[in-house]
Amino acid sequence: MVRALNRKLAREICRSKGLLLAITSIIAVGVMCYVAMQSAYLNLSAAKTRYYRMCRMADFWVDVKKVPLAELEALGRIRGVAEYQPRITFPATVDLENVPEPLNGQVISLPDRREPTLNDILLRQGGYFTDRRENEVIVNDAFARARNIYPGQWIHLLLNDRRQELFVVGTAISSEFTYLLGPGTLVPDPETYGVFYVKRTFAEDVFDFDGAANQVVGRLSPELAGESNDTLRSAETLLEPYGVFSVTPLRLQASNQFLSNEIEGLGAIAAVVPTIFLAVAAVVLNVLITRLARQQRVVIGTLKALGYTNGQVFAHFLKFGLSVGVAGGVLGALLGYTASAGMTQVYQHFFQFPDLRSQLHWNTFALGMAVSLVCAIAGSLHGAWSMLQLQPAEAMRPEPPARGGAILLERLTLVWKLFSSGWRLALRSVFRHRVRSAAAVFAAMMGAALLVTGFMMVQSQDYFLDFQFYRTMRSDIDLVLKGSQGREALDEVRQLPGVDHAEPQLMVAGTFEHGPFRRKEAIIGLLPDARLTIPHDAEGRRIPLPRSGLVLSRRMAEILHVRPGDQVSFTPVQEERRTLEATVAQIADSYMGLTIYADIHYLSRLMGEEFAVSGVQLQTDPRPDVLRRLNHELKQLPGVEAISDRQRLVENLTKTLLQNQFVFIGVLVIFAGVIFFGSVVNSSMVNLAERQREVATFRALGYSKWSIGAMFLRESLLTNMTGAVLGLPIGYGLMWLTATAYANDLVRLPVIATPAIWGWALGWAVVFALLAHAVVQWRINTMNYLEALKVKE
Amino acid sequence: MTDEFAAASAAKNGQPLLRMDGVGRTFQMGEVAVVVLTNITLDIRRGEFLALVGPSGSGKTTILNLIGGMDRPSVGSVLYKGRNLADASDRELTRYRREEVGFVFQFYNLVPNLTARENILVSTEIASAPRDADEVLRLVGLEDRAEHFPAQLSGGEQQRVSIARAVAKNPELLLCDEPTGALDFKTGKRVLRLLVDLNRQLGKTVVVITHNAALAEVADRVVHLRSGEISSMEENQNPVAPEEVVW
Repeated sequence: MVRALNRKLAREICRSKGLLLAITSIIAVGVMCYVAMQSAYLNLSAAKTRYYRMCRMADFWVDVKKVPLAELEALGRIRGVAEYQPRITFPATVDLENVPEPLNGQVISLPDRREPTLNDILLRQGGYFTDRRENEVIVNDAFARARNIYPGQWIHLLLNDRRQELFVVGTAISSEFTYLLGPGTLVPDPETYGVFYVKRTFAEDVFDFDGAANQVVGRLSPELAGESNDTLRSAETLLEPYGVFSVTPLRLQASNQFLSNEIEGLGAIAAVVPTIFLAVAAVVLNVLITRLARQQRVVIGTLKALGYTNGQVFAHFLKFGLSVGVAGGVLGALLGYTASAGMTQVYQHFFQFPDLRSQLHWNTFALGMAVSLVCAIAGSLHGAWSMLQLQPAEAMRPEPPARGGAILLERLTLVWKLFSSGWRLALRSVFRHRVRSAAAVFAAMMGAALLVTGFMMVQSQDYFLDFQFYRTMRSDIDLVLKGSQGREALDEVRQLPGVDHAEPQLMVAGTFEHGPFRRKEAIIGLLPDARLTIPHDAEGRRIPLPRSGLVLSRRMAEILHVRPGDQVSFTPVQEERRTLEATVAQIADSYMGLTIYADIHYLSRLMGEEFAVSGVQLQTDPRPDVLRRLNHELKQLPGVEAISDRQRLVENLTKTLLQNQFVFIGVLVIFAGVIFFGSVVNSSMVNLAERQREVATFRALGYSKWSIGAMFLRESLLTNMTGAVLGLPIGYGLMWLTATAYANDLVRLPVIATPAIWGWALGWAVVFALLAHAVVQWRINTMNYLEALKVKE
Repeated sequence: MTDEFAAASAAKNGQPLLRMDGVGRTFQMGEVAVVVLTNITLDIRRGEFLALVGPSGSGKTTILNLIGGMDRPSVGSVLYKGRNLADASDRELTRYRREEVGFVFQFYNLVPNLTARENILVSTEIASAPRDADEVLRLVGLEDRAEHFPAQLSGGEQQRVSIARAVAKNPELLLCDEPTGALDFKTGKRVLRLLVDLNRQLGKTVVVITHNAALAEVADRVVHLRSGEISSMEENQNPVAPEEVVW
């Protein structure tokens, strides 16, 4: 309505474009984070829902030793079980001609003819099984692409000690393996681990499972979803005679757990990170608008004298903030959309979806925009409001001189004496402009918190890798044997070429119980002086295996509510299912799985054997030709169920994590930089504008530009470093919250804080403060002192 | 022109446009109450040129602020056309300032980043019966400087823009706070001439405050202030032309 005032606004915006740009970028980053993460969250959630529906994703998995199909009918009658399907599934060793090392895989049976099935597959290439051959296979798409496998080719799998030739009829994906992990790893590696779907009749034949199954997948009645625990417990009881290894609800299924964790995490971060940025932006904007309103005190008085209403004057200043909000919102939304497309692409790399698309979510745009405007208004309110309190006659008088007098610190004479006059000046200024200083401290706090969280995240990953893969599990190759075997199996492996060292393992799966708490998990038996798997505590000390009793991982001990010295009962999944009592001897720290260790001799005795082996860990000769010979032998080795190349696994994991860390740290430092830089530039420039005459007077007195700059630098260092130091514990808290939120039975992040992290965060805070100060110094250097001296009171 | 002059003279003898009755104003400065005005009773007649003269600190600006609806008295009443401004709400005072009063400030108070013309628009855009901005610019002789920013104008020119801005709303009452205070002698006289013309030709009631007694010679009536009180008041039977004033 008031056009001339709008022109005034436009010109003022042009004049303070530098500062506004700084604030706009803080808002834009906040909105961008929100839009990007929220969009990615919605994209992933929608893709997950669609995919699970398309594949008819199961609600539970029950793994058993072997159950006759006829016995399963009773399962359908359990209250809460809507439908179920038996499957045969076994680990397999994949022998590809052009690949020297044996690869790992999982074989899963599917109906011979296409029919609606749970955990169905979506074909990507080729077709479903035909009637032409028994030995047809559908390979999971990622593995097929990574290894150049196409329909029409023959591949070889080692199944039940026999080398089987299978004809590839198609490639497929399934929601069950959206995040496909091989054993013992955390990131998918499609080159080394595949899923192979075979005909049910073929599986029955190869594994001697005629009319039987070793896995049941099922769906729960939606209306009884709340009682799923009871339903699953009944199913477990029913199948107990057939040796239940595990009962896995969808919630705990590995792929689903990783995917759901990622989605939930995104949702949480989409709320937290933007809030930090927008809060900082609001605070910084508040300082700027307050300054602007104060600077225009006389203009406001004049406008009021001319008959402008409070509302019109208020709206005028609000528009200033709003324009920043609009600019930040639009810019942030656009960048956010671009970033969400990028994030969605990264997710495509880790998660296999049929149709993960980056979509435009208008609601998210609108909300991002609205939040940005609210933040801008909140930031402008105080400044605009303060000017309305003035009567026009009062507003026309120059502002009374700023508060003088001693600050509190000056009363501590001894301390005060320690400061040079330059520092005293800075301290006084900081304490006299409390709102502005508080805003700067707050911004620095948030910036530092962000840096600390990020650095801790990286440190935590590094520590995790080191703890889990270099100190606890140190083998090069792990072999899983078919069932438990005697000492001669170990001797046989020791004879293989290139094996420098081999250690036996005995895995015994079963149910742990302690009072009302129970859990299915496996005990790993190790040699007391094992070198390839070494239990540690969080301080990195080796935990010696007791001659009797168990070493529980902390997470498992928490689940069972046990402490060292407590007794737990353990019912192994064995034909006899004799319940044993064992003592919890020690608690070990572990960040993966729910490991339980015991002395292999003790465990063997518990199982009623003298010495039993179910797996072998190898340390190998690294020379390529020796390794090639070993791999060749391993491919032929009977009695081996799975072989995992841990060296490659660790390499892949390290590479993936480091790659992501690099991007992560880069983005984080830029984001924190935006906060630090924006805040420091803003508060210093406002400070400088308010003290133009003072600065000019100092120049007239003979101070150099640099010594005047130093006065301002001292102030920004004071507020920034205070904020940064206060931000350190906040960052620690954020990391702790993140680690707690993400922790699950599969993987947990340690919360590690080393002095280096504090150092880096504070170091960056100094760097950003100096960078921002360069702008202020430039302004001081180019300031027209004579003009500044003429400024009328 | 003669008719206009006659109309103005007739109006001068009629009802007062504004009446201050027993007005006092006290400011609270921390714990000290500073009495700025005591017991001011003054009529401002329609169409007159009134000068408030006194040394600095005598309460001139406070009176002007009270007349202009920028402040409220601590005691007493300020009646404008029978309406007491002392009881008026903020909204009513805003309306009053918008429709009835034009301010001219000592330091012009132009909005620095608006051109001369835009500074006038700031005022016309909110008034109910404004004059044309360009016409007012012509009236103050600044039609050539319409697109100049305040920083590109001399002090006298800025003050003329300020006067134009006040007149553009077409107010009844023109209040001028030391309008020549920041100007040199020659420029000051031109500005004074402009104010006199507005009074004589357009019939505007003009109140000028000044510490310069010589300026008062152009006024119809001079009120002398000292320490917040009216010390004397005199009718000026033969106001001199601004060109003849010497200070």
